[in-house]
Amino acid sequence: MPETIDIQLKKGALDLCVLALLSRGDSYAYEIASRLAEAIGMGEGTIYPLMRRMQSDGLVETYLVESSAGPSRKYYRLTNTGQTSFAAQKDAWRSFAGAVQSILGEP
Amino acid sequence: MTRHDFIARLRQGLVGLPLQAQSDIVADYETHFTEGAAAGRSEADVAAALGDPDRLARELRAEVGVKRWEAQRNPEAAAAAVFAVLGLGAIDLLVLLPILITLVSVICAFGIVALVGFIGGAVVFAAGPFADAPGGVGAALLTGLALMAGGLSLASVVTLVSIGLVNALVWYGRLHYRLLKPAIDPQPTGEFAAP
Repeated sequence: MPETIDIQLKKGALDLCVLALLSRGDSYAYEIASRLAEAIGMGEGTIYPLMRRMQSDGLVETYLVESSAGPSRKYYRLTNTGQTSFAAQKDAWRSFAGAVQSILGEP
Repeated sequence: MTRHDFIARLRQGLVGLPLQAQSDIVADYETHFTEGAAAGRSEADVAAALGDPDRLARELRAEVGVKRWEAQRNPEAAAAAVFAVLGLGAIDLLVLLPILITLVSVICAFGIVALVGFIGGAVVFAAGPFADAPGGVGAALLTGLALMAGGLSLASVVTLVSIGLVNALVWYGRLHYRLLKPAIDPQPTGEFAAP
């Protein structure tokens, strides 16, 4: 069932992608959602349950930034725990992806 | 679906959560619509990209329920977390329900045994000095104490097992989150039509 594999792969990588985006700079949910929707085709609405979970797990924290036009934005930034988790997940992803690639027989 | 419809259905799905959590969540999605409008997207377009508000509400409820269970370990929070996770539809109820009912019954049975042991011990302890107990007053007092201690330790084991069971269920439910499903498998537009 290729669809299921697709879903499982994306689900597994989603946390990692959000952590990676935030490691390059703080961001707000709309920006994270639209970038990931474009890049890996995830639903924009799913970012909010995910961000709440990451916040309750202590991986990210929020702060408000006043905007000259429109409402103030809630920015997310990585906590120390989030950075540690990102480093660990990145390593795990690299070694796993490398192992899969070598089994698939690709360079 | 318009912004108004989306928010209305989301609100409906969040009823029962703490008010603060409800307003935080709704504010998140309101902001999303505002940002989308600023980027020149139509309300229908943003709503379609967000996905099914009922499903989002279920996932957010589960998240809030689990968070509450982690913060306060009491029977009420446990029930709320279990129901919220079951509400995800992520757990195959038909398979799990018989196992769950058996486990809960066994835990209840042990709980009752613990309670009866404790009360029985108390009665023996209190009545010992007055009744003509075999082995004398001292033996009756000791037996009473032993029964009460046994009841208490069984009760604490039952509590630990119950906490473990709820944790396992929450873990299993989270593992099977279907967060991405609506994105990859977009709902037919018909489903977005207001009832």
